[in-house]
Amino acid sequence: MNEFVVALGWAGLFAPMALGAIGSVIGCAVAGQAAIGAMVDTDSGYGRYIGVSVMPSSQVIYGIVIMFSLQREVTPESAPALFGIGLLSGLALLVSAMRQGQACASAIHASKTKPEIFGLSLAPAAIVEGFAVFAFVFALVLAGGIPG
Amino acid sequence: MTLAHPDRHAMLLSALPYHGPLFGATQTPLSRIRLNQRLSLLEPDEARDLSEARRLLEWAQQEPGGTDAQIVRQARRILAGIEHPFIQDLVTWRLELRTLVAALRHRHRGESTPRDRHWGHGRWVGHLMRHWNEPSFALERAFPWLPQAERHLRDGAAGELERLLLGVVWERLERLSDGHYLDFEAVVIYVLRWDLIARWTTYEGRAALARFDTLVEQALTGYEGIQMHPNSDQSGPA
Repeated sequence: MNEFVVALGWAGLFAPMALGAIGSVIGCAVAGQAAIGAMVDTDSGYGRYIGVSVMPSSQVIYGIVIMFSLQREVTPESAPALFGIGLLSGLALLVSAMRQGQACASAIHASKTKPEIFGLSLAPAAIVEGFAVFAFVFALVLAGGIPG
Repeated sequence: MTLAHPDRHAMLLSALPYHGPLFGATQTPLSRIRLNQRLSLLEPDEARDLSEARRLLEWAQQEPGGTDAQIVRQARRILAGIEHPFIQDLVTWRLELRTLVAALRHRHRGESTPRDRHWGHGRWVGHLMRHWNEPSFALERAFPWLPQAERHLRDGAAGELERLLLGVVWERLERLSDGHYLDFEAVVIYVLRWDLIARWTTYEGRAALARFDTLVEQALTGYEGIQMHPNSDQSGPA
Protein backbone atom coordinates (compact mmCIF):
# COMPACT_ATOMS: atom_id res chain seq x y z
CA MET A 1 0.00 0.00 0.00
CA ASN A 2 2.80 2.39 0.94
CA GLU A 3 4.46 1.77 -2.40
CA PHE A 4 1.27 2.75 -4.21
CA VAL A 5 0.95 5.94 -2.18
CA VAL A 6 4.57 6.80 -2.90
CA ALA A 7 3.98 6.15 -6.61
CA LEU A 8 1.05 8.58 -6.51
CA GLY A 9 3.34 11.07 -4.82
CA TRP A 10 5.83 10.83 -7.68
CA ALA A 11 3.00 11.22 -10.19
CA GLY A 12 1.82 14.33 -8.36
CA LEU A 13 5.34 15.70 -8.33
CA PHE A 14 5.68 15.49 -12.11
CA ALA A 15 2.03 16.26 -12.96
CA PRO A 16 2.23 20.10 -13.03
CA MET A 17 5.15 20.02 -15.42
CA ALA A 18 3.73 17.27 -17.68
CA LEU A 19 0.15 18.56 -17.79
CA GLY A 20 1.35 22.14 -18.20
CA ALA A 21 3.51 21.03 -21.13
CA ILE A 22 0.62 19.18 -22.78
CA GLY A 23 -1.62 22.24 -22.38
CA SER A 24 1.05 24.55 -23.79
CA VAL A 25 1.59 22.24 -26.76
CA ILE A 26 -2.11 22.26 -27.62
CA GLY A 27 -2.62 25.97 -26.94
CA CYS A 28 0.45 27.10 -28.88
CA ALA A 29 -0.45 24.82 -31.77
CA VAL A 30 -3.98 26.23 -32.15
CA ALA A 31 -2.83 29.85 -31.80
CA GLY A 32 0.21 29.18 -34.00
CA GLN A 33 -1.89 27.79 -36.83
CA ALA A 34 -4.17 30.83 -36.58
CA ALA A 35 -1.07 33.05 -36.80
CA ILE A 36 0.09 31.23 -39.92
CA GLY A 37 -3.34 31.65 -41.47
CA ALA A 38 -3.32 35.36 -40.65
CA MET A 39 0.11 35.73 -42.27
CA VAL A 40 -1.28 34.23 -45.46
CA ASP A 41 -4.00 36.88 -45.55
CA THR A 42 -2.01 39.96 -44.51
CA ASP A 43 1.10 41.81 -45.61
CA SER A 44 2.38 43.00 -42.23
CA GLY A 45 2.23 42.41 -38.47
CA TYR A 46 3.67 38.90 -38.69
CA GLY A 47 5.75 39.26 -35.54
CA ARG A 48 2.72 40.38 -33.59
CA TYR A 49 0.75 37.28 -34.57
CA ILE A 50 3.60 34.94 -33.66
CA GLY A 51 4.10 36.82 -30.38
CA VAL A 52 0.47 36.27 -29.40
CA SER A 53 0.55 32.64 -30.44
CA VAL A 54 3.25 31.78 -27.86
CA MET A 55 1.23 33.15 -24.92
CA PRO A 56 0.10 29.64 -23.84
CA SER A 57 3.72 28.62 -23.26
CA SER A 58 3.71 30.28 -19.81
CA GLN A 59 1.80 27.36 -18.30
CA VAL A 60 4.66 24.94 -18.79
CA ILE A 61 6.95 27.42 -16.98
CA TYR A 62 4.50 27.61 -14.06
CA GLY A 63 4.42 23.80 -14.08
CA ILE A 64 8.21 23.58 -13.86
CA VAL A 65 8.30 26.04 -10.93
CA ILE A 66 5.52 24.15 -9.08
CA MET A 67 7.37 20.88 -9.67
CA PHE A 68 10.55 22.28 -8.10
CA SER A 69 8.61 23.75 -5.18
CA LEU A 70 7.05 20.33 -4.53
CA GLN A 71 10.35 18.51 -4.88
CA ARG A 72 11.31 16.74 -1.67
CA GLU A 73 11.69 13.21 -0.37
CA VAL A 74 8.57 11.28 -1.39
CA THR A 75 7.37 9.43 1.72
CA PRO A 76 3.98 7.94 2.65
CA GLU A 77 3.42 11.11 4.72
CA SER A 78 4.20 13.63 1.97
CA ALA A 79 2.90 11.66 -1.06
CA PRO A 80 -0.86 12.39 -0.66
CA ALA A 81 -0.21 16.13 -0.51
CA LEU A 82 2.16 15.99 -3.48
CA PHE A 83 -0.41 14.05 -5.46
CA GLY A 84 -3.32 16.37 -4.62
CA ILE A 85 -1.56 19.68 -5.18
CA GLY A 86 0.47 18.47 -8.15
CA LEU A 87 -2.38 16.83 -10.05
CA LEU A 88 -4.95 19.56 -9.51
CA SER A 89 -2.59 22.41 -10.29
CA GLY A 90 -1.46 20.50 -13.37
CA LEU A 91 -5.04 20.07 -14.56
CA ALA A 92 -5.69 23.79 -14.05
CA LEU A 93 -2.60 24.61 -16.12
CA LEU A 94 -3.59 22.12 -18.82
CA VAL A 95 -7.08 23.52 -19.32
CA SER A 96 -5.98 27.15 -19.05
CA ALA A 97 -3.31 26.65 -21.74
CA MET A 98 -5.76 24.96 -24.10
CA ARG A 99 -8.41 27.61 -23.70
CA GLN A 100 -5.88 30.40 -23.84
CA GLY A 101 -4.72 29.04 -27.18
CA GLN A 102 -8.26 29.37 -28.51
CA ALA A 103 -8.58 32.88 -27.09
CA CYS A 104 -5.29 33.83 -28.76
CA ALA A 105 -6.41 32.35 -32.06
CA SER A 106 -9.59 34.43 -31.91
CA ALA A 107 -7.56 37.53 -31.01
CA ILE A 108 -5.29 36.96 -34.02
CA HIS A 109 -8.30 36.40 -36.25
CA ALA A 110 -10.05 39.57 -35.04
CA SER A 111 -7.02 41.88 -34.97
CA LYS A 112 -6.09 40.81 -38.51
CA THR A 113 -9.28 42.50 -39.73
CA LYS A 114 -9.26 45.38 -37.24
CA PRO A 115 -5.67 46.08 -36.13
CA GLU A 116 -6.91 48.84 -33.79
CA ILE A 117 -8.50 46.26 -31.45
CA PHE A 118 -5.29 44.25 -31.09
CA GLY A 119 -4.72 45.19 -27.43
CA LEU A 120 -8.33 44.77 -26.39
CA SER A 121 -8.68 41.45 -28.20
CA LEU A 122 -5.97 40.05 -25.92
CA ALA A 123 -8.02 40.73 -22.77
CA PRO A 124 -9.73 37.29 -22.69
CA ALA A 125 -6.38 35.54 -23.08
CA ALA A 126 -4.95 37.72 -20.30
CA ILE A 127 -7.84 36.86 -17.98
CA VAL A 128 -7.30 33.15 -18.62
CA GLU A 129 -3.63 33.71 -17.82
CA GLY A 130 -4.71 35.30 -14.54
CA PHE A 131 -6.53 32.12 -13.50
CA ALA A 132 -3.45 30.05 -14.33
CA VAL A 133 -1.44 32.41 -12.10
CA PHE A 134 -3.93 31.82 -9.25
CA ALA A 135 -3.41 28.06 -9.54
CA PHE A 136 0.35 28.59 -9.70
CA VAL A 137 0.64 30.95 -6.71
CA PHE A 138 -1.60 28.95 -4.39
CA ALA A 139 0.15 25.71 -5.32
CA LEU A 140 3.40 27.38 -4.20
CA VAL A 141 1.78 28.58 -0.96
CA LEU A 142 0.42 25.13 -0.14
CA ALA A 143 3.68 23.43 -1.11
CA GLY A 144 5.30 25.20 1.85
CA GLY A 145 3.07 23.23 4.27
CA ILE A 146 3.81 19.74 2.98
CA PRO A 147 5.73 17.61 5.51
CA GLY A 148 9.23 16.44 4.64
CA MET B 1 1.75 13.85 -40.22
CA THR B 2 -1.41 15.92 -40.69
CA LEU B 3 -2.70 18.79 -38.59
CA ALA B 4 -5.41 18.10 -36.02
CA HIS B 5 -8.85 19.40 -37.07
CA PRO B 6 -9.07 22.40 -34.68
CA ASP B 7 -5.64 23.64 -35.78
CA ARG B 8 -6.55 23.23 -39.42
CA HIS B 9 -9.79 25.18 -39.00
CA ALA B 10 -8.09 27.93 -36.98
CA MET B 11 -5.49 28.32 -39.71
CA LEU B 12 -8.04 28.26 -42.51
CA LEU B 13 -10.34 30.80 -40.86
CA SER B 14 -7.45 33.15 -40.14
CA ALA B 15 -6.43 32.92 -43.79
CA LEU B 16 -9.88 34.08 -44.92
CA PRO B 17 -10.41 37.86 -45.05
CA TYR B 18 -13.35 39.44 -43.24
CA HIS B 19 -16.38 39.76 -45.51
CA GLY B 20 -18.24 42.69 -43.90
CA PRO B 21 -21.99 43.22 -44.26
CA LEU B 22 -23.79 41.67 -47.23
CA PHE B 23 -25.48 44.72 -48.69
CA GLY B 24 -22.46 46.99 -48.34
CA ALA B 25 -20.22 44.63 -50.31
CA THR B 26 -19.04 45.69 -53.74
CA GLN B 27 -17.00 42.54 -54.37
CA THR B 28 -16.26 39.22 -52.71
CA PRO B 29 -13.60 39.38 -49.97
CA LEU B 30 -11.39 37.05 -52.03
CA SER B 31 -11.68 35.49 -55.45
CA ARG B 32 -13.34 32.12 -56.03
CA ILE B 33 -9.99 30.62 -57.06
CA ARG B 34 -8.30 31.78 -53.86
CA LEU B 35 -11.22 30.61 -51.75
CA ASN B 36 -11.05 27.15 -53.29
CA GLN B 37 -7.27 27.11 -52.82
CA ARG B 38 -7.66 27.82 -49.13
CA LEU B 39 -10.50 25.35 -48.71
CA SER B 40 -8.04 22.65 -49.76
CA LEU B 41 -6.95 22.68 -46.10
CA LEU B 42 -10.20 20.90 -45.19
CA GLU B 43 -10.33 17.14 -44.65
CA PRO B 44 -11.63 15.26 -47.73
CA ASP B 45 -14.95 14.35 -46.07
CA GLU B 46 -15.49 17.94 -44.92
CA ALA B 47 -14.62 19.32 -48.35
CA ARG B 48 -16.99 16.84 -50.02
CA ASP B 49 -19.92 17.74 -47.73
CA LEU B 50 -19.34 21.46 -48.22
CA SER B 51 -19.05 21.10 -51.96
CA GLU B 52 -22.27 19.05 -52.12
CA ALA B 53 -24.08 21.69 -50.06
CA ARG B 54 -22.88 24.44 -52.41
CA ARG B 55 -23.91 22.34 -55.41
CA LEU B 56 -27.41 22.29 -54.01
CA LEU B 57 -27.59 25.90 -52.89
CA GLU B 58 -25.82 27.83 -55.64
CA TRP B 59 -28.22 28.65 -58.44
CA ALA B 60 -25.35 28.74 -60.91
CA GLN B 61 -24.77 25.04 -60.28
CA GLN B 62 -28.39 24.03 -60.85
CA GLU B 63 -29.28 22.23 -64.04
CA PRO B 64 -31.91 24.25 -65.86
CA GLY B 65 -35.07 22.77 -67.26
CA GLY B 66 -35.90 20.13 -64.65
CA THR B 67 -39.37 19.74 -63.18
CA ASP B 68 -40.01 20.46 -59.49
CA ALA B 69 -40.24 16.74 -58.77
CA GLN B 70 -36.91 16.03 -60.50
CA ILE B 71 -35.17 18.87 -58.67
CA VAL B 72 -36.59 17.75 -55.31
CA ARG B 73 -35.57 14.15 -55.97
CA GLN B 74 -32.03 15.19 -56.85
CA ALA B 75 -31.84 17.48 -53.82
CA ARG B 76 -32.91 14.64 -51.53
CA ARG B 77 -30.30 12.36 -53.04
CA ILE B 78 -27.54 14.90 -52.52
CA LEU B 79 -28.80 15.71 -49.02
CA ALA B 80 -28.73 12.02 -48.06
CA GLY B 81 -25.06 11.90 -49.07
CA ILE B 82 -24.10 14.78 -46.75
CA GLU B 83 -22.79 13.34 -43.49
CA HIS B 84 -22.08 16.42 -41.39
CA PRO B 85 -25.22 17.16 -39.30
CA PHE B 86 -24.64 20.93 -39.22
CA ILE B 87 -24.49 21.14 -43.01
CA GLN B 88 -27.46 18.80 -43.33
CA ASP B 89 -29.58 21.00 -41.05
CA LEU B 90 -28.50 24.17 -42.82
CA VAL B 91 -29.21 22.80 -46.30
CA THR B 92 -32.57 21.44 -45.16
CA TRP B 93 -33.48 24.89 -43.81
CA ARG B 94 -32.48 26.53 -47.12
CA LEU B 95 -34.53 24.00 -49.09
CA GLU B 96 -37.52 24.63 -46.84
CA LEU B 97 -37.14 28.35 -47.45
CA ARG B 98 -37.06 27.72 -51.19
CA THR B 99 -40.16 25.57 -50.85
CA LEU B 100 -41.94 28.49 -49.18
CA VAL B 101 -40.88 30.89 -51.92
CA ALA B 102 -41.84 28.35 -54.59
CA ALA B 103 -45.30 28.07 -53.00
CA LEU B 104 -45.61 31.86 -53.06
CA ARG B 105 -44.67 31.95 -56.74
CA HIS B 106 -47.01 29.09 -57.68
CA ARG B 107 -49.90 30.75 -55.93
CA HIS B 108 -49.04 34.13 -57.41
CA ARG B 109 -49.33 32.56 -60.86
CA GLY B 110 -52.85 31.49 -59.90
CA GLU B 111 -52.04 27.79 -59.63
CA SER B 112 -54.18 25.64 -57.36
CA THR B 113 -52.97 23.42 -54.51
CA PRO B 114 -50.39 20.89 -55.78
CA ARG B 115 -51.81 17.38 -56.02
CA ASP B 116 -48.80 15.52 -54.65
CA ARG B 117 -46.03 16.34 -52.20
CA HIS B 118 -43.13 16.14 -54.66
CA TRP B 119 -43.06 19.85 -55.50
CA GLY B 120 -41.17 20.86 -52.33
CA HIS B 121 -38.97 19.63 -49.51
CA GLY B 122 -39.17 19.69 -45.74
CA ARG B 123 -41.64 19.83 -42.93
CA TRP B 124 -43.81 22.62 -44.32
CA VAL B 125 -44.95 20.92 -47.53
CA GLY B 126 -48.08 19.39 -45.97
CA HIS B 127 -48.88 22.59 -44.09
CA LEU B 128 -48.55 24.68 -47.25
CA MET B 129 -50.92 22.38 -49.12
CA ARG B 130 -53.48 22.49 -46.31
CA HIS B 131 -53.34 26.30 -46.02
CA TRP B 132 -52.82 27.08 -49.71
CA ASN B 133 -55.48 29.76 -49.86
CA GLU B 134 -54.70 31.53 -46.59
CA PRO B 135 -52.63 34.73 -46.47
CA SER B 136 -48.93 33.81 -46.01
CA PHE B 137 -50.07 30.19 -45.68
CA ALA B 138 -50.84 30.92 -42.00
CA LEU B 139 -47.08 30.89 -41.39
CA GLU B 140 -46.43 34.57 -40.65
CA ARG B 141 -45.63 33.77 -37.01
CA ALA B 142 -42.96 31.24 -37.95
CA PHE B 143 -41.69 33.35 -40.86
CA PRO B 144 -42.33 37.05 -40.18
CA TRP B 145 -40.83 37.98 -43.58
CA LEU B 146 -43.48 36.01 -45.55
CA PRO B 147 -46.12 38.81 -45.79
CA GLN B 148 -43.48 41.22 -47.06
CA ALA B 149 -42.24 38.68 -49.60
CA GLU B 150 -45.83 38.20 -50.74
CA ARG B 151 -46.20 41.98 -51.15
CA HIS B 152 -43.00 42.25 -53.20
CA LEU B 153 -44.17 39.40 -55.42
CA ARG B 154 -47.56 41.02 -55.91
CA ASP B 155 -45.92 44.36 -56.78
CA GLY B 156 -43.50 42.70 -59.18
CA ALA B 157 -40.56 44.03 -57.13
CA ALA B 158 -38.20 41.16 -57.97
CA GLY B 159 -35.11 43.02 -56.76
CA GLU B 160 -36.67 43.84 -53.41
CA LEU B 161 -37.82 40.24 -53.00
CA GLU B 162 -34.33 38.94 -53.71
CA ARG B 163 -32.85 41.42 -51.27
CA LEU B 164 -35.32 40.33 -48.61
CA LEU B 165 -34.59 36.63 -49.10
CA LEU B 166 -30.82 37.13 -49.13
CA GLY B 167 -31.21 39.15 -45.92
CA VAL B 168 -33.20 36.33 -44.30
CA VAL B 169 -30.50 33.78 -45.14
CA TRP B 170 -27.73 36.16 -44.02
CA GLU B 171 -29.45 36.70 -40.65
CA ARG B 172 -29.88 32.98 -40.18
CA LEU B 173 -26.17 32.45 -40.80
CA GLU B 174 -25.43 35.29 -38.39
CA ARG B 175 -27.44 33.56 -35.66
CA LEU B 176 -25.82 30.20 -36.37
CA SER B 177 -22.36 31.71 -36.16
CA ASP B 178 -22.80 32.31 -32.41
CA GLY B 179 -20.57 29.85 -30.59
CA HIS B 180 -18.68 28.82 -33.74
CA TYR B 181 -15.39 30.65 -34.03
CA LEU B 182 -12.58 28.34 -35.02
CA ASP B 183 -14.35 25.16 -36.06
CA PHE B 184 -15.64 23.56 -39.24
CA GLU B 185 -19.09 25.08 -38.75
CA ALA B 186 -17.50 28.55 -38.85
CA VAL B 187 -15.85 27.61 -42.17
CA VAL B 188 -19.20 26.45 -43.58
CA ILE B 189 -20.88 29.69 -42.49
CA TYR B 190 -18.08 31.75 -44.04
CA VAL B 191 -18.30 29.93 -47.37
CA LEU B 192 -22.09 30.18 -47.57
CA ARG B 193 -21.82 33.89 -46.79
CA TRP B 194 -19.20 34.22 -49.50
CA ASP B 195 -21.69 32.62 -51.90
CA LEU B 196 -24.37 35.15 -50.88
CA ILE B 197 -21.97 38.07 -51.38
CA ALA B 198 -20.93 36.64 -54.76
CA ARG B 199 -24.57 36.47 -55.78
CA TRP B 200 -25.43 39.94 -54.54
CA THR B 201 -22.38 41.61 -56.08
CA THR B 202 -23.12 39.88 -59.39
CA TYR B 203 -26.54 41.48 -59.37
CA GLU B 204 -24.90 44.82 -58.70
CA GLY B 205 -22.53 44.14 -61.58
CA ARG B 206 -25.46 43.58 -63.88
CA ALA B 207 -27.06 46.81 -62.69
CA ALA B 208 -23.76 48.60 -63.31
CA LEU B 209 -23.60 47.10 -66.80
CA ALA B 210 -27.18 48.20 -67.54
CA ARG B 211 -26.34 51.69 -66.26
CA PHE B 212 -23.20 51.72 -68.40
CA ASP B 213 -25.22 50.72 -71.48
CA THR B 214 -27.73 53.49 -70.78
CA LEU B 215 -24.97 56.05 -70.43
CA VAL B 216 -23.32 54.86 -73.66
CA GLU B 217 -26.67 55.12 -75.45
CA GLN B 218 -27.21 58.61 -74.10
CA ALA B 219 -23.71 59.63 -75.12
CA LEU B 220 -24.14 58.16 -78.60
CA THR B 221 -27.49 59.91 -78.99
CA GLY B 222 -25.84 63.18 -78.02
CA TYR B 223 -23.00 62.48 -80.46
CA GLU B 224 -25.48 61.76 -83.25
CA GLY B 225 -27.23 65.03 -82.40
CA ILE B 226 -23.93 66.87 -82.79
CA GLN B 227 -23.24 65.06 -86.08
CA MET B 228 -26.66 66.08 -87.42
CA HIS B 229 -25.94 69.74 -86.62
CA PRO B 230 -22.19 70.00 -87.12
CA ASN B 231 -22.14 73.80 -87.08
CA SER B 232 -24.64 74.22 -84.34
CA ASP B 233 -22.07 75.85 -82.05
CA GLN B 234 -21.21 78.38 -84.76
CA SER B 235 -24.79 79.21 -85.65
CA GLY B 236 -25.18 82.03 -83.19
CA PRO B 237 -25.81 85.62 -84.21
CA ALA B 238 -23.12 87.03 -86.42
